Amino acid sequence: MAAIIGIKMRDVKIAFRNLTRQKKRTILLAAAIAFGIYIITMINGFTGSFIENVSENFSNLLAGHIFIEGVEKSESGRTLSLVRNDDILMDAIEDNEVPWKYITKRSDMNATLIFEGETAQQTVTGADWDQEEYFKERIILTQGTFEDLQAERQGIIISEKVAEKINVEIGDRLLVKCRTYTGQQNVGEFVMTGMLVDSSLFGGSTAYANISYVNELLNLKPGEYMSMGIYLEDPDMIDETAENLYEDLKTRVSMFERNTGDDDENPIIAMLEQEDEEEWEGLRFRFMTLNDIMKEVQQIVDVLNTAALIILLVLFGIIMVGVTNTFRMVLMERTKEIGTMRAVGMQRGIVRKLFLYEAFFIAVIGVAVGLILAGITMLILMQINWGLDTPAFMLMKNGYMTFKMPVWQIFLNFGIVSILTLFAAFFPSNKAAKLQPADALRSTK
Amino acid sequence: MAIVELKEVKKVYPLGKTEVHAVKGVSFEICKGDFISIAGPSGSGKSTILNMIGCIDVPTEGQVLINGTETGGLSDRDITDLRHEVLGFIFQSFNLIPVLNVYENVEFPLLLGKSRMTKAEKSDWIDMLIDEVGLQEWRNHKPNELSGGQRQRVAIARALVTKPEIVLADEPTANLDSVTSEAIINLMKKINRDLGTTFIFSTHDPTIVDVADHIIRLRDGLISDNYRQDDARACRE
Repeated sequence: MAAIIGIKMRDVKIAFRNLTRQKKRTILLAAAIAFGIYIITMINGFTGSFIENVSENFSNLLAGHIFIEGVEKSESGRTLSLVRNDDILMDAIEDNEVPWKYITKRSDMNATLIFEGETAQQTVTGADWDQEEYFKERIILTQGTFEDLQAERQGIIISEKVAEKINVEIGDRLLVKCRTYTGQQNVGEFVMTGMLVDSSLFGGSTAYANISYVNELLNLKPGEYMSMGIYLEDPDMIDETAENLYEDLKTRVSMFERNTGDDDENPIIAMLEQEDEEEWEGLRFRFMTLNDIMKEVQQIVDVLNTAALIILLVLFGIIMVGVTNTFRMVLMERTKEIGTMRAVGMQRGIVRKLFLYEAFFIAVIGVAVGLILAGITMLILMQINWGLDTPAFMLMKNGYMTFKMPVWQIFLNFGIVSILTLFAAFFPSNKAAKLQPADALRSTK
Repeated sequence: MAIVELKEVKKVYPLGKTEVHAVKGVSFEICKGDFISIAGPSGSGKSTILNMIGCIDVPTEGQVLINGTETGGLSDRDITDLRHEVLGFIFQSFNLIPVLNVYENVEFPLLLGKSRMTKAEKSDWIDMLIDEVGLQEWRNHKPNELSGGQRQRVAIARALVTKPEIVLADEPTANLDSVTSEAIINLMKKINRDLGTTFIFSTHDPTIVDVADHIIRLRDGLISDNYRQDDARACRE
């Protein structure tokens, strides 16, 4: 096989042995390549899981992969978020055979929680917790359980920080001041049934309650809600499913235009702007997907990957200078030996190959060591629980860092490194091959 | 028939802004199977002539013919093949490949080109050569583990491994003591007799010059003396 592709074991053997002649130099050169590969692998590994983790965390926190919100315009021109009857929506979901796992229905309100004179502004999300399994798995409670919340109709789960701020404990009854969906002042009473870890992103500003009581405070009827979230069985099906469902819904109800994400504008903002810019009345629906929300996150990932590639190229630009200089030095050291090999019948091409094989082996060793070190570092980092009380939790999976790197990316990096190393070694190799045997043998180096 | 023929060969080396006329017009013939000494003091042009016969250097003027073929018109690839198939080299400073052991150093030229020998035949032949030069016990040792005499023996075995018609030895005893030098020359002479290989060696040591059948003395790039011990004037057909 080796002979078929023009590689002779003799050349490979000599090139490999040549590496051992200056062990320190070989180690240093391979270490420089290993360092470059280590850095790029860590960045690629992190960004590889970045989009997946952020997407998963968002889907859990926002309760779905596809979101449908009802928006109603009152006679006074005020817009109200409301789904009064979702039969049409459910029919469309059924007719399109949407592969859903959970369908969540939520109502949200901005409220002021008051306890013994202390107040805290909160978004209170009301949900049917039987349909929120993903979310319940994601939220870490330090006290109480979701079962406690479901058992107490007026129950509420708030974050540790808010609980500390208003000095409330499990079982305490706290006052809530809010507005109904039509904008009238309303008050109620929550019973604290749980405390969650403050993620500083949602935990600090959002509290969770039962939808029946939130609807009561919003003056919505039972069965009404503000937004529907559809968890799909496979997140990879978001775009295809959303496209079909949206096109079907357009034939059944009035829909805001959905930005397809073809231009640079954020699709969510584009959709929200339609409310103000367009003339409309009655009931319309907003339709968005997790991928629409993730578009900007994807842009961050793209920037990170581009930055990683630039780092790789700059780093290897520097390393390549080292490789070229090393091989120039090797050429000087082995001039006489090259003369001998040429004298006993070695063709120029083989002399060139010996140098290039040597460079290739250094690249292979460097890449292998870099990958192994990156793998070990990743394994160590993956064992550490960084907690959920950090803004970085969105980048992690349940507080643990994860790394994902497709095999093609490893081969691509290996290919780039190999080509650059061979390119750097080519000129000294070529010079070696072109040496006249007599000149080389006369060398005193 | 002459295995090597030089016709009015000159060699000029540039040295800064001046030129060094290393060989100033030399003509001679070497017969197949001869044991020839090219003798002369340092700077007389011995190594330059040997390099041109060995096709590792080209004359500035004149012709070098190997087996009747003028080497000046050959491509680098053909010249390299010629070196591999027809010529063997022994160098003053041995020039062994440091990363290879004795066996591998001897084997090395065999790996560079096509050979009619099978793998087993090659192995037997290499072992026979190593045995012939008395290094069987050292076959797995690297050059840095050998004495100067042992290294030169490896170089001799390496020069013979492709069964060349001509072996060129550039001052093969210069780095050796007198006892080892004599042993090396005797070994070369024995191989010359046993295998019929033509040996051309350069030396400035008068004690080993006389071992040769044919002696060419050089002085300042010109032949000062050219004679055969057997008084023959030309190569036999």
